[in-house]
Amino acid sequence: MTTSTLPPPSPADAPPDRPPQRLKSGGSVVRKVSLRNLAAHKVRLALTVLSVVLGTAFIAGSFVFTDTLSHTFKGLLSDVGQGVDVQVTGQEDDSSGVPLADVDRIKTIDGVRAVQPVMSGQIVLIAADGKPTQSGGAPTEGLSYSPPAEQLGQPYEFTEGSPPTASGQIALNQGAMKLAKLQVGDHTKVLAPSTGTVDVTITGVYKTKTDTGGYIGALFAADQARSLFTDGKHIGTVYVAAQPGVSQDQLRARVAQQLPDMKVITGKQLQADTEKDINTALSFINYFLLAFGAIALLVGTFIIYNTFSMLVAQRLRELALLRAIGASRRQISRSVLLEAMLVGLTGSIIGIAAGVGLAYGLRSLLNSFNVGLPSGALQLTPRTIIVALLVGVLVTMFSAYTPARRAARTPPVAAMREEFASTGTSLRRRTAAAVGFGLLGAIALAFGGLAPSGGGAASLVGLGALAMIIAVLLGAPALSRPIVGAVGAVVARPFGAVGRLARTNAVRNPRRTAATAFALTLGLMLVTTIAVFGASAKHSINALVDNNVRADYVLTGPDAIGVPVQAGAVAEKVPGVASSLALSPLDVRINGKSSGGTAVDGPLAQLLPYKLISGRGELSGHNIMVSQTWAKDHKVGPGSSIAMVSSDKRSVTATVSGVYENNELLGPWLGSGDFGREVTPPQFEQNFVVLIKAQPGTNLATLRTNLENATDPFLVVKVQTAEEFKGSQADQINGLLGVLYGLLALAIVIAILGIINTLALSVVERRREIGMLRAVGIMRGQLRRTIYLESLLIAVFGAIVGVAMGLVFGPLFVHTLRDQGLGEISVPWGQAVLLLVLSAVVGVLAALWPAARAARTRPLEAIADL
Amino acid sequence: MNSIASTATGQNATPSASTSGHGVAARAVNVSKIYGAGDTQVSALDHVSVDFARAEFTAIMGPSGSGKSTLMHCLAGLDTVTEGSILIGDTDLTGLSDKKMTQLRRDRIGFVFQAFNLVPTLTALENITLPMDIAGHKVDEEWVRSVVTTLGLNDRLTHRPSELSGGQQQRVACARALASRPEIVFGDEPTGNLDSRSSSEVLNILRNSVTHLGQTVVIVTHDPRAASYADRVIFLADGQIVDELRAPTADSVLDRMKHLEEI
Ligand SMILES: Nc1ncnc2c1ncn2[C@@H]1O[C@H](COP(=O)(O)OP(=O)(O)OP(=O)(O)O)[C@@H](O)[C@H]1O
Ligand SMILES: [Mg+2]
Repeated sequence: MTTSTLPPPSPADAPPDRPPQRLKSGGSVVRKVSLRNLAAHKVRLALTVLSVVLGTAFIAGSFVFTDTLSHTFKGLLSDVGQGVDVQVTGQEDDSSGVPLADVDRIKTIDGVRAVQPVMSGQIVLIAADGKPTQSGGAPTEGLSYSPPAEQLGQPYEFTEGSPPTASGQIALNQGAMKLAKLQVGDHTKVLAPSTGTVDVTITGVYKTKTDTGGYIGALFAADQARSLFTDGKHIGTVYVAAQPGVSQDQLRARVAQQLPDMKVITGKQLQADTEKDINTALSFINYFLLAFGAIALLVGTFIIYNTFSMLVAQRLRELALLRAIGASRRQISRSVLLEAMLVGLTGSIIGIAAGVGLAYGLRSLLNSFNVGLPSGALQLTPRTIIVALLVGVLVTMFSAYTPARRAARTPPVAAMREEFASTGTSLRRRTAAAVGFGLLGAIALAFGGLAPSGGGAASLVGLGALAMIIAVLLGAPALSRPIVGAVGAVVARPFGAVGRLARTNAVRNPRRTAATAFALTLGLMLVTTIAVFGASAKHSINALVDNNVRADYVLTGPDAIGVPVQAGAVAEKVPGVASSLALSPLDVRINGKSSGGTAVDGPLAQLLPYKLISGRGELSGHNIMVSQTWAKDHKVGPGSSIAMVSSDKRSVTATVSGVYENNELLGPWLGSGDFGREVTPPQFEQNFVVLIKAQPGTNLATLRTNLENATDPFLVVKVQTAEEFKGSQADQINGLLGVLYGLLALAIVIAILGIINTLALSVVERRREIGMLRAVGIMRGQLRRTIYLESLLIAVFGAIVGVAMGLVFGPLFVHTLRDQGLGEISVPWGQAVLLLVLSAVVGVLAALWPAARAARTRPLEAIADL
Repeated sequence: MNSIASTATGQNATPSASTSGHGVAARAVNVSKIYGAGDTQVSALDHVSVDFARAEFTAIMGPSGSGKSTLMHCLAGLDTVTEGSILIGDTDLTGLSDKKMTQLRRDRIGFVFQAFNLVPTLTALENITLPMDIAGHKVDEEWVRSVVTTLGLNDRLTHRPSELSGGQQQRVACARALASRPEIVFGDEPTGNLDSRSSSEVLNILRNSVTHLGQTVVIVTHDPRAASYADRVIFLADGQIVDELRAPTADSVLDRMKHLEEI
């Protein structure tokens, strides 16, 4: 047989040893090709830029959101310490403060220019509609108004009306007026925890920097502030200003010398302390947002990397052609990098803008759920821009460079002849590393689970979780085959050949599948972990209430002030009430350390049965009962004497009468109501809850009406059955979960967009194959179904891994906090299944556009040249 | 075995008489195909009329750019014509909906392309039965087995395309084209990427399917030796049929090609 007329494989025509220098303006030609190429594949280009936009938008969005939150919180306290040279307070935070006599003494100290007593306390402002004003997490406080002459910092600037001059008058900040929908001259009510409701008239409106946060500040005339917020003998805080020429330190020394029992600090110190307090208070949210930022970085990086790997794989032939005509490796690398830089830069800039939009949308979303975050102007800091730009550009360049280097190494002929099965190198090493991390993680998780409850255990579990995440990140490609195979066997089987195509497509490139699914995995892992927390918290509270509370009705009030003391007293006298039990906080110092117990006013055993371990259940006089753990920690038992110091510095000796089994509702130790009143200054008195037991035979509905009528003047008191009480506690938990879910929604939106992007690119990549399928007779609808199923399988794979991790981490975390009120682990199976189903739906939705694109592929593209 | 195996000499000296007898498998009537518009307008086919008889092996030849692929694509329902009409059996392709056209390709036409014939994620066997699986038709196991055996693919069925040589891939593609017993099999340079031995194998398979099973086959080729396997050779130039040869040999084809170039 003659072979001479068979055409030789054409690419070999190019002599391999042709020197690169032959290409005179090689660099610019390569660049020209590179730029032309970008323009020629518009969809591909758009998708590439989009991946960078997504990645950087997620990063910028979470940073903007974080910064805005912390800026708003800081803004709330930014004026603290303005004009103050020295601050005098009681030695401890919880003490009554500075005795009035000492305040007068300060005025006589040499070098003192002015003294401003600060009297403030938590209040509730009743809005125009008669309901408590919601400040959205920001403080609502009452303050004493100081006339400009006595005001040390910036004097109040009134925009309307005039300052309060007598009892029953208040001035409000502009934000509060808006929130409460009140006008100057309106009559309304204010609630203080110890005094109950106070009728007030609004005399004026003032300006404050902190307005944006939802802050409410009611200014009272000094006399009324004193009666509302002090015990009449002490002032909580006294600000002092120095005369010109006297330094803060000098003045501090003089005041401290005169008042040795007081805590005296300089204004500078005050500002530093406040700053530190804010940071501590924000640390939880900061950690969370930092973790969120880290996720943003990771997910963003993944999306970009994934996209570029695909892109360069698609361009292997083109790069090989350039190599074949003599472009050097360096030229290729440089051109790819230049291209990546342009794409990275463009994408990052759009991404930053999109990130601000995301943060805005997220905030609106959270606000519409009324989750109580203060709102302020969006903060776009230089750091956000720099980080987003750096990540966008560097990750893009890195992502482009790694596969491009591989492309440059590929022998030109090989790259041009073969359609590259871009499966890359073996997964073995990667999987081995995953197993290593997995083992480490499992060990840390096991130790965390076995360790005694508390922060140490939680950290161990956290560490274990981190190792597990890395393990999954590395091991996901190896996991994808069995999991997608198993899911596919169930889900795709009914679809026959289409199902088989989808299933094999989904694991065609395990690395890509894993990388595409990873964002969803991470998001759903967090969602599931949090869901386990929420369910466990609700379950724990329910169990607590069910097992302990024997009340017919539970009275509650707003968190800040609880049930006003008088409301409890009034409720007790309502006809049909057999007994009532008020629980209130007890704050004393034991051995110099502050210790919080619970004062129980009423027949404890009837309404909140507890289990006595030893001693007697007696709480009269100075008898207290302590919990098992507390007894062990403090090495006390029945008969022990405990020396306590009240917040107004009086010594009390308590005697332990009995030890009870740990009980979350009761806390570490108990005193009687009288004991509570003895050690608590009246302005600090408040009740957490009041439990009501009906007389036998009383009509409960009537009793409820009577209770509601009796407590109505206090406006904020809610009358609930134990069931309703559980429900409202659950609502609170749900509210908190809502915030977290809202944040995670951002991660999941990005995950979905990432899936869309990868799918669309892989549809472009498989153009020939799809064309061939069309040629041999696959229907458009079948093709679409194939892509839907493929996407569904990838999404469900990601979801299964994420939910599984959450189902391991969540219960373990809850377990480590078993002594912090999370005694019951509850796994929301229904929710977990729902997440899987939703992710399947999301998978299909993500495939809509890529599938439509695929269906438009003409059969001839199977044979078209690239 | 009554299948496509047997005397694999490749040279079949008994071409069926003409378009009559068995009837027409495919027909192009006055077909024109114009790409683009205005100045850049290209007339790829210029009023071409041609019949392809049942159970006949036809090769289409001609210089590069003469419109061979275009003609084949139009015949195979992969592309539409600008003017004229195409018939597969009695079905006029003009104005068929995408769905009907897809169905027709799936059930009545087989393809062997020059490359990229196979779905890389499916095994050889899955690729072979793909059109039937997609259609939801029951696969005729016995028939597929005999095709596979004849094509020598028995021990390659579970391999993926990346694990097969180019020749093996083309044989799998042939198997796919034959497995659903289509009315007509088209191949656009099916041996263009193969060495002489592999291309002989592929051509033998096609030849035998015509001789022994009455399959209709139309291929485009540049190779006179490949054309010599056919019963009839059609020569295209500038979008028009300029010549035709029956019972070709490699030499007579080469001769005719030289002759055409001189014109
Ligand atoms: N999609 C298209 N758009 C514009 N012109 C086209 C297109 N496809 C083919 N042509 C033109 O139609 C003419 C015939 O092309 P065709 O591909 O049929 O040639 P061919 O005979 O198969 O050539 P070869 O032997 O090189 O494969 C050529 O001039 C070509 O440039
Ligand atoms: Mg051609």
